[in-house]
Amino acid sequence: MTSGDLSRRRFFAQAAVASVGMTVPMSVEPGAPEADGLVEVAFTVNGKGERLRVDPRITLLDALRERLELTGTKKGCDRGQCGACTVHVDGRRVLSCLTLVATMDGKRLTTIEGLAKGDRLHPVQQAFIDCDGFQCGFCTPGQIMSAVAVLREGHAKSDEEIREAMSGNICRCGAYPNIVEAVKQARS
Amino acid sequence: MRPFAYQRATDVPSAVAAGTGQAMYLGGGTNLVDLMRLGVATPEVLVDVTRVPFDTIEETPGGGLLIGAGVRNSDLAAHPLVLRNYPMLAQAVVAGGSGQIRNMATVAGNLLQRTRCSYFQDITKPCNKRVPGSGCPAREGDHRNLAILGHSEACVATHPSDMAVPLAALGAVVNVESSGGPRAIPMPGFHRLPGDAPERDTLLRPGDLVTAVELPALPFAARSRYRKVRDRASFAFAVVSVAAALDVADGVVRDCRIALGGVAHVPWRAERAEAALRGAPATAEEFARAAEAELAQASPLPRNAFKVPLARNVLVRTLLDLTAREDLTAAGDTGETS
Amino acid sequence: MTSIQTEPRSGSRSGVGASVPRPDGTLKVTGEFAYSSDLWLDGMLWGATLRSPHPSAWIRSIDIGPALAMPGVFAVLTHEDVPGEKFYGLEHRDQPVLAVDQVRYQGEPVALVAADHPETARRAAAAIIVAYEPREAVVDPRRAAFDPSCPPVHPHGNLVRHQPVRVGDRFQAEVVVTGEYEVGMQDQAFLGPESGLAVPAEDGGVDLFIATQWLHVDQDQVAPCLGLPKEKVRLSLAGVGGAFGAREDLSMQIHASMLALRTGRPVKIVYGREESFFGHVHRHPAWMRYEHGATADGRLVYVRAEILLDGGAYCSTSRAVVGNAASLGVGPYEVDNVRIDAYGVYTNNPPCGAMRGFGAVQACYAYESQMDRLAEACGLSPVEIRIRNAVSQGSRLATGQVVDSPAPLAGMLRELAAMPLPGSTVTRRSITEPSSAKPSSAEPVPDLRSLPGGVSQTTHGEGVRRGVGYGVGIKNICFSEGFDDYSTARVRVELLGGEPHVLVHTAAAEVGQGLITVKAQIARTELGIDKVTVAPADTSVGSAGSSSASRQSYVTGGAVKAACEAVRERLDSLRAGDPELGLVELLERFGPVEETREYRHRPTFPMDPVTGQGDSHTQLALCVHRAVVDVDVELGLVKVVELAAVQDVGRILNPVALEGQIHGGTAQGLGLALMEEIQVRDGRVLNPSFTDYLIPTILDMPPMRLSILENPDPHAPYGLRGAGEPPTLSSTPAVAAAVRAATGLELPRVPIRPEDIALAAPS
Repeated sequence: MTSGDLSRRRFFAQAAVASVGMTVPMSVEPGAPEADGLVEVAFTVNGKGERLRVDPRITLLDALRERLELTGTKKGCDRGQCGACTVHVDGRRVLSCLTLVATMDGKRLTTIEGLAKGDRLHPVQQAFIDCDGFQCGFCTPGQIMSAVAVLREGHAKSDEEIREAMSGNICRCGAYPNIVEAVKQARS
Repeated sequence: MRPFAYQRATDVPSAVAAGTGQAMYLGGGTNLVDLMRLGVATPEVLVDVTRVPFDTIEETPGGGLLIGAGVRNSDLAAHPLVLRNYPMLAQAVVAGGSGQIRNMATVAGNLLQRTRCSYFQDITKPCNKRVPGSGCPAREGDHRNLAILGHSEACVATHPSDMAVPLAALGAVVNVESSGGPRAIPMPGFHRLPGDAPERDTLLRPGDLVTAVELPALPFAARSRYRKVRDRASFAFAVVSVAAALDVADGVVRDCRIALGGVAHVPWRAERAEAALRGAPATAEEFARAAEAELAQASPLPRNAFKVPLARNVLVRTLLDLTAREDLTAAGDTGETS
Repeated sequence: MTSIQTEPRSGSRSGVGASVPRPDGTLKVTGEFAYSSDLWLDGMLWGATLRSPHPSAWIRSIDIGPALAMPGVFAVLTHEDVPGEKFYGLEHRDQPVLAVDQVRYQGEPVALVAADHPETARRAAAAIIVAYEPREAVVDPRRAAFDPSCPPVHPHGNLVRHQPVRVGDRFQAEVVVTGEYEVGMQDQAFLGPESGLAVPAEDGGVDLFIATQWLHVDQDQVAPCLGLPKEKVRLSLAGVGGAFGAREDLSMQIHASMLALRTGRPVKIVYGREESFFGHVHRHPAWMRYEHGATADGRLVYVRAEILLDGGAYCSTSRAVVGNAASLGVGPYEVDNVRIDAYGVYTNNPPCGAMRGFGAVQACYAYESQMDRLAEACGLSPVEIRIRNAVSQGSRLATGQVVDSPAPLAGMLRELAAMPLPGSTVTRRSITEPSSAKPSSAEPVPDLRSLPGGVSQTTHGEGVRRGVGYGVGIKNICFSEGFDDYSTARVRVELLGGEPHVLVHTAAAEVGQGLITVKAQIARTELGIDKVTVAPADTSVGSAGSSSASRQSYVTGGAVKAACEAVRERLDSLRAGDPELGLVELLERFGPVEETREYRHRPTFPMDPVTGQGDSHTQLALCVHRAVVDVDVELGLVKVVELAAVQDVGRILNPVALEGQIHGGTAQGLGLALMEEIQVRDGRVLNPSFTDYLIPTILDMPPMRLSILENPDPHAPYGLRGAGEPPTLSSTPAVAAAVRAATGLELPRVPIRPEDIALAAPS
């Protein structure tokens, strides 16, 4: 068993005991308007073009996780209160749980899955490993997406500025001191 | 979330044309999407106005600022003219939400935020604001964060916005477009007290689209502050906040603008305090007297009585600070510069 | 789900004692790690839970018809559909799988739905018609404990446990201080809400993929309720998004399995954040009355205490929590005369159970508050009073148990007190000083974010007072009071690609604490082989016990060590005929070598039900904190400037992971001190969201100064001492003491909120 086998749902789908019924089209919520109520939306995610027909009620977070199988973006509260779902839209960090995917037409999105270049981790990802900037890791994709944007914005000049800029990302494991260290390492 | 039809507007006329009936406009979505998921907001049509090109900040001929309704909070807080001429506005915006939320939230959406009262957000509970006539459990129940000023039997909710507090202090004017033509609604007055119709937060009518907020020229607002008390250091709503601008010459207050946040159904313009201060010596005693004058009308509930001394203290503190400090740009004092 | 191949490292750099990075780190920073909420099977259904809106009510009828009629709904289940035992529980099986004729707390599960879409499932659950007949809710734990006329929440009454501790008979002293203290209900608030996936198996059983703390105790409870033998209920650990005690009890394990067995389809259940507040137990809120008697020079003569813990509607782990509160109720101090009564009671409030610190947290806040009062009464410093009474190796605790490993508390306190204090960030200026006071240009401009109120810039230093406070905590490590506490490890050495390779398999739950890192480190150290794979945790190997009580490095670490030693012995015996044989040749000739071992710590014993005497704990751990705070006394805002800690961990297995544990425990203690509380009124939770239940942000958490000591415990593997919980105990009283020092207020309750300070301060 190697790490590659164990990523997310694909491994799981292969390894699982029971098999398949019908596939449920996840992003169409029940009771949606008829087909003409669906919204056509085209955008890029991590450099790849995507085109979806979606129920307009679907959030970007659910579309990423359930339609595009990008489960790295996490649902910690689904109400904009924890930051675990942070992604970049046109280079700015936003909360995907409060963003309707229907509004994303023409946008350029980056998720945690889009940071590394092949096997080479993004410097912020590497810094989080080097500084042990996480424990359970559930908030980590959001922390890293936030940190990448904060560094790009130039809001990491001091420890206090890093703390203020990162305060929209809750870490319940309390890895905060090491997160500050990680952002500093990535800055230099 | 209830089903709705989604429409993208590309300009103000098309937005207004779409915004009829049970339609709502979608800006940053930081409040509306949450309320839709909770079942509190149930639009039949959602008009996406994020592509409407009202996202600029321009100087007006009179020396004020015209801020497009779609300007994102982080851009507003970082704008050089806002930082220079209305620092309390930049400070208020930076004190709200998180970096991610400020990147999403718009000026109009921030103004139109709905209360965070837990009964309003819980559709299994009565709430006069959500279901007129259903009752208000907050008065007897959980009201620690709710209003001490201007509330009614029907509703003790507070307005959650930070940004709206300096706007109320400045006397900003909200520009509105509708099928009946444009209107301009001044603040304070744009938001309304709950009275017996707490379901209406503002004077807006169905279909009205906020297009811009106009700030009057107010040179002494270049010396202004926003201060916010909250339950943790960041990413929390105001328990009490103050926006204040002070014009002092020879130790006497020539003019002032003061508003309080977190204390009422509206961003609360402290007119009594302002009246008490105009022409008064700029001293701690007078500041305390002005604060007392404003808060004499407070009618706190059992579990939010602490907000009265808190509001007094933060107001006095802010005024003292405006008179005492020359170096208003201590480290960390400025807004974001994205 | 977490099987991780570690990179080859030299034994010395990646064995015990090294800061080996987490083997799951790359997966976690790239978003590839499979948390339970990320699992997916084509064709799976989604489960939803209908919960009681009432804290106490009879159920007169349940009509599932409208829900069943909805398109997309595959099953609607009530207690009548529970195939086996209808009750479960960790210590006492008093909790219904689904409510049977009555509900005892708001949020109690009443019915289940499986549907082809989560929203359909939620709507169908809402369409179930339940006729409730609300009745008086028991919401006052004092009444539940002491008022015989209080209605019983359960037929056997409202007392879950009363544990006295009685030693000595001298309850008079020159100096006496008394105090009453309260601790609010804290939530674990892990970031990854409860979730799991149940898959029906061909043998009629079920495979459950779940984020939990203890796979086997889940299995022990799930199987009887499903009416299945244990071997047909197989659990595998899915990625865990934090735990902190909240995953020790079952949440949806039985529910998802019932729906999967009924529908024949995989069923996934994911709680939302609000549901999560109702889906797990919380930390017991506590009401405590203490009386400390001492000599004039500050030596403790006696301690009297009454500790009341509200266990809520079901037992969960309340009995053990009461045991900890009682046995550790005087703290790490020598005192000859003790009279403690600790009570746990049933009420119709939310059920409470395990949270990091487990019964020791509440008492620690109270006894440390008392030590500060005593210091003041005796004219001693907070450090000195603690040093004068500190336990050390050989001390006898109130339970009669002798501390039989190093406990250098006095030295820890001296070291803590000697640490440099952080500099002032504040230019002090009184609010009564108006326009005159203009700071000189030479004065350093403070970073406003470092002051109370942070970027809200509520102060430039006016009204800010600094305070320094100390807190000391003592926590039992591993399960206590006679529990058969063990772990199992299977270790296999084989050739892969011609190279020796170790596979370590246990059922221990990695919840973020870094256990998989430590297991691999131990294998490298014991076997001298660099390539180590940690297999996914599941029930195909023996129980590892719980990832709680700071016990996994000790017990599962001990099991891995024992299994490695057994493998080494086997290899040695195979090599006996040919001592020159290398490992590769040995494995080529004889094939893989595999050994499984159970490891138990020294036995513990129950507390005497009348006197509380007994060697109830196997290991005790100490942590001391110093908090430095700036308090804006006019606005009630607290900025924790620095937290310093000294902790004795016996032996450091992984320095960087250990520091993370101390940071995390400290942060949760800070949260309890200043902001965290589930507010319950009339049995109803008022704030089930992260807007209203506030947990510390990165801006609330100060820099930490740590000193970690290694005085080995001769009874433990490598001499280690469990480390995750002790900091959670001591940081809360340290912060509270610092706020008291800054304000002069009594502050008998945590969390301390702005109104507790601002209303009381002179205006």
